[in-house]
Amino acid sequence: MNLLENPLRLTLLFSLWLLLLSGSIDAAEKGQQGVQLNIGTILASNESDDFDAKLSKMNNQLEVIKYSSYRLIKEESQKAPWNGNAAFEIPGGRTLTVIPQEYRNNRLSLKVRLQEGEKPLLDTTVRIRNRGNFLLGGPPHEGGVLILSISATTQ
Amino acid sequence: MKIDCEAIKSSLGAWLDGELSHPEAEQIRVHVQECPACFGEKEQLERLQASLKGALEARASRLAFEPFWDGVHRRILEKSPWRERLWDWVRPAIYPQRLAWAIPVVIVFLLGIISLEQFFPGWRWGSSRSNATTVDSIDGHGLNVAVFRESKTKTTVIWLFENQEDEDESSGESAPTDSSF
Repeated sequence: MNLLENPLRLTLLFSLWLLLLSGSIDAAEKGQQGVQLNIGTILASNESDDFDAKLSKMNNQLEVIKYSSYRLIKEESQKAPWNGNAAFEIPGGRTLTVIPQEYRNNRLSLKVRLQEGEKPLLDTTVRIRNRGNFLLGGPPHEGGVLILSISATTQ
Repeated sequence: MKIDCEAIKSSLGAWLDGELSHPEAEQIRVHVQECPACFGEKEQLERLQASLKGALEARASRLAFEPFWDGVHRRILEKSPWRERLWDWVRPAIYPQRLAWAIPVVIVFLLGIISLEQFFPGWRWGSSRSNATTVDSIDGHGLNVAVFRESKTKTTVIWLFENQEDEDESSGESAPTDSSF
């Protein structure tokens, strides 16, 4: 029996091919591209009630930290290869180093290190949703504290 | 010839009812004209049919068909429930062969949903809707570390602070204002 004579079988074969093709293209793309890292440095304090309009999308996220004033003082983006590092200068002589490790189930695994000069302050490994973010806060700065919004995107 | 007669006799009823194709009917007609046995069989069958028809017609004339036809007419005019009408409309489309088109459509639809996030960065679907970050390991190198999650957006916050005493002192305040390194 010729497999291609039956329209139903032909359709099933085409569907299977379509699935395999999309899967292989997706896997190839994921393997080649690196990770776009975006670090927003926010100064939070109680010295005023000003809320930076540039942070309006993060209003809900910042609410929980309970400071009265939030100001975006620096924003930096870098593209990092898988298992390669990206270093970001943070106000106060600090450095944030991010190493994207793997991408699985729509989540990126990131190794994050915060240093003050040569002194390590924090080492953590997190799994973050693609295009998602998390906040790293606490380092004091100009009468307030710094909050780092760390987001990562891969295509 | 006997075999032919048997075959003809078995088809006589269908022939008399006009159910045979033209060549078959013609073949039987010719045979019946030439074969006395089959002709007799045909005559007998015709008489039987005529007597049955007469008996049925006599009975039918006594039956009241008006209520029956009224019922049929009413059923025709009656509006069927929307579920039945929907089923009547859908039924032809779900025969297996006609359903073949649905398979690639479903696959393309699912692939489209999965790909939506690439085209619309704000789009989130299924489990990926949560912004929750999983912390696999954490080391504060002597500093205290707190990990908590904002409830509305499920944002994970990692907070560094130098010592617990300072935090305790500030716990009555609205914010951790005295973090120092």
